[in-house]
Amino acid sequence: MKARFFFAAALAAALAVAASTASAKPTGSKHALASKITVWLQVDAQSGWPNLVAAANQQFQAKHPGATVDVQYQTWGDHLSKFDATLAGGNTPDVIEMGNTEMTKYMAAGAFANLSSQKGSFPNSKNWLKGLAASGNYNGRTYGVPYYAGSRVVTYRTDLFRKARAKVPTSLGQFTATAKRLKKQNPKRGFSPVYIAGTDWYFAMSFVYDYGGQIAQRKGGKWVGRLESKKARAGLAAYKRFFNAASRASKTGTENRPQPYDVYARGQAASIIGPAWFSCCVGKKYTKATKQFVMPSHAKGKAMPGFLGGSDLAVPAGSNDKSLATDWIRIFTSTASQRGLQAKGNIPNATNLLGNSVNERAAKRSWFVPTAKNWVNVENGNVLRTMLARILTGRASIAEATAWADDNIALTLNQ
Amino acid sequence: MTSSEIPGGTAFAAEAALQPRRRRSFTVARVVRGAAPYLLILPVVVTIAAILGYPLYHLARLSFQKYGLFELIARHGTNVGWANYSSVLHDQVFWHVLIRTIVFTVANVALTMGIGTLIALLLTKVSSVVRVLLTAGLVLAWAMPPVVAVQVWLWMTNYENGVLNYALTTLHVGDYYQHDWYATPFSQLSLTTTLIVWGAIPFIVVTVYAGLSQVPPELVEAAEIDGARPWRVFKDLTVPIVKPIFLVLTSLSIIWDFGVFTQPFLLIDQTRINASNELMGIYLFEEGYLKTDFGRGAAISILMLLIVAALSVFYVRKMVRMGDEAG
Amino acid sequence: MRARRRRSRFVWDAIGVLLFAVLSFPVYWMVASAFKPQEELDGLTPTWFPMHPTLSHFSDAIHRPFFWHGVKNSLIVVSVTVALSMVLAFLAAVALAKFRFTGRKAFIILIIGIQMLPQAGLIIPLYVVLARYHQVNALSGVILTYMTFVLPFSVWMLRGFLLGIPKELEEAAMVDGSTRIGSFVRILLPLVAPGLVATSIFAFITTWNEYIFARILLNDQSKQTATVWLSYFTGTSRNTDWGGLMAGSTLIAIPVVVFFLIVQRKIAFGLTAGAVRG
Repeated sequence: MKARFFFAAALAAALAVAASTASAKPTGSKHALASKITVWLQVDAQSGWPNLVAAANQQFQAKHPGATVDVQYQTWGDHLSKFDATLAGGNTPDVIEMGNTEMTKYMAAGAFANLSSQKGSFPNSKNWLKGLAASGNYNGRTYGVPYYAGSRVVTYRTDLFRKARAKVPTSLGQFTATAKRLKKQNPKRGFSPVYIAGTDWYFAMSFVYDYGGQIAQRKGGKWVGRLESKKARAGLAAYKRFFNAASRASKTGTENRPQPYDVYARGQAASIIGPAWFSCCVGKKYTKATKQFVMPSHAKGKAMPGFLGGSDLAVPAGSNDKSLATDWIRIFTSTASQRGLQAKGNIPNATNLLGNSVNERAAKRSWFVPTAKNWVNVENGNVLRTMLARILTGRASIAEATAWADDNIALTLNQ
Repeated sequence: MTSSEIPGGTAFAAEAALQPRRRRSFTVARVVRGAAPYLLILPVVVTIAAILGYPLYHLARLSFQKYGLFELIARHGTNVGWANYSSVLHDQVFWHVLIRTIVFTVANVALTMGIGTLIALLLTKVSSVVRVLLTAGLVLAWAMPPVVAVQVWLWMTNYENGVLNYALTTLHVGDYYQHDWYATPFSQLSLTTTLIVWGAIPFIVVTVYAGLSQVPPELVEAAEIDGARPWRVFKDLTVPIVKPIFLVLTSLSIIWDFGVFTQPFLLIDQTRINASNELMGIYLFEEGYLKTDFGRGAAISILMLLIVAALSVFYVRKMVRMGDEAG
Repeated sequence: MRARRRRSRFVWDAIGVLLFAVLSFPVYWMVASAFKPQEELDGLTPTWFPMHPTLSHFSDAIHRPFFWHGVKNSLIVVSVTVALSMVLAFLAAVALAKFRFTGRKAFIILIIGIQMLPQAGLIIPLYVVLARYHQVNALSGVILTYMTFVLPFSVWMLRGFLLGIPKELEEAAMVDGSTRIGSFVRILLPLVAPGLVATSIFAFITTWNEYIFARILLNDQSKQTATVWLSYFTGTSRNTDWGGLMAGSTLIAIPVVVFFLIVQRKIAFGLTAGAVRG
């Protein structure tokens, strides 16, 4: 009797699930009835500037009565997998925030709507930061609207620098000399005057661009690796010299494990290189004695080109409300909104809005990765990291390592 | 053989055998008995077929198509026949990864089953207080999500201030100050093994112990009273009961450890993964997802399925045969 | 003789305690870290015991948006999945273990074959199927997905347990030689209770900790499960709130422990075996 009951209950449950499946309300984005747009922003907005999002939503709803905005926050680790799933399922969001290095691959595959005709209607579009605007362009068409940027700066201990009687360095040479002095004064094992992870390619490539080289170039319709060039090699040699003088971090280590600001907070570094927001997490002990400056070039008085990170906003091609979506982006990237982002320590998306913070000054001279649709594969294959590890550990000469890297880069980019 | 598995079936079969020419009258009871097993498995089959039917077909079809991001957006792939399979099988990296993964699987399964079974046996020998304590510890370890366990492992093996380096140096095992545990593939995979085995042992212990507790104590007592030595009791009473469970666990462990992804991927970290430390699950992720080549990823998935089937066929066959034997 | 048994039991106990310490150390580390103030967490030398325990990380975690939603959703998804799966799997396992029928081998191949498939390969096609039935961004969709992965190994495990039941016990229990399915199942159920419990614990923990499918299928943060909620701690491009992550993880682990405490009596971890009747 009991068993029969179990059996019947199981069947009933299965049927109930099937029935609820059939009668479920549609949850896709086929919103033919009420106008609703789905916006995917990263959690940085949720924790950093939720008020700006709320303000934009309010403005949007005031302008379009009857329309609603559903903001869904994503994490950097899996938002692309989720996006891929929605592309396959045909229910993409209407607006999506993409990292600037993530754009090219998707633009090349036709994932986004062409916004070229409306480019002029976006606030400050004439003055968009070159580095950021370039990431939203493909084949001469605009697919992405710059959202905000961040560059790399040096975060340093004012007390230790004062003790070493060092001023803010204006050249790489000066910085190296300061680093040597700091090491003498702080001989503790494992202490780094400048904590740099060996395979931090974002930082290492700055040296390449500083000496006039580049990572890759498009020649005659094909991509060619350019790290073997004399200028690039000179830059890498300078990087190796600087690393050996200034950093006691692992030569094969990465810049996310450990996080440089954790090393700093433990008192094991006099300065660290990274995004400007590193200053948030330097530990209670050293917050008061922390300031930032722009990484100097090997040429005196100039800034070393820094990697410009940032985000763009795009409208997936499958969106059903492209005009509403575009309008939301217009509202969210308004001058007032950008000022709000700037106040939170970000770099706004246009040169006419730039202020004088260290972060923004560093952005004036910047570099960006090759705009190839397969560039992401070079990054994921850790080609540059492996090259740097070989150079720093001495396992390969700079000539050998760069030759290997160039071959790999060309192979991957031209696939 | 067959009829003895159905209660009262012996009599039933005998009756049928005595009257072969008589037309089988389809009484309700007989139909129900004949349909019984099908009704029992029906819900499971329906659920699985409804949800996985199309994805499985789609996966197989994908493996014969070129299907990258462009095709994903256009929702239409182009047929390339065996090209995906050919490209994978001709990739030297694939073979290195395969061998590495097989060795990794053997090590993990052996350690997990070995240590797990020993602990389960230990549980039968300790006092009830220690038994509850040890079980509690196992369940707590089991309950930790792998993602969190990875974070704890990373923390403990942190090269700057990890407790592992600290303990080893303080106990004078050697100078492990700022030892980088993730410098070599061997070190990386060994740490991954400790993490996976640690997470897998509780399941083995609980399941084997559950199997052991199915051994009826009266039979054990009766055998002991009859003068049987503990080894005899173990061999004749315990082993037959626990054997099927043991085979199940081994086959499951092989399947899971071969395709493991989360722990090695998060522990070694994407920035350090390359051809010298990739495992199959990660290779699939890199080739299929990171490079957005779903066709190739599907081919690798099918190949993994075939390989794992080949690796575990010994245990699976034994399990299937076990059901065929009488008693 | 008694003294020797007491001594050997002492040795076993000592080993047991040592194992407990080693196996639960990472868990201890996680919980202890959840109580350590931020400076202690950042410090250069690790401390074995929280010197100045604080509850701030726990309150931070609880006050993070959608904590209670995450717990509620996880409880719903996991309990329905485990309950339904145990019933369906048990029935199917009985069929496999006790009956001979055509298609038996095919069913076994289906059961085992599914487990051999790398789940990663199925994510996108599965998403497409569920989207078609409007099961995306719905707890029912997640439940169905979880069931399809829990059922195979549950059937496989329960079959193993059923095969392990000694014939004598079965036959002794079926006094009246009854052949109806109902009483048949009723007889087997208590004999296989420990196996059922072990399988349900495994199903519970696996589904409670599942992340990938929940992440892909659930968009609204109000519908997401606890593991997805936990992933937001490490999801930003900024620093990770370690204390919060450890505190959140500790909280999330509690329901699992509670579930285990409720069902463990059937496996007789604290007392002697429960398979005895009469």
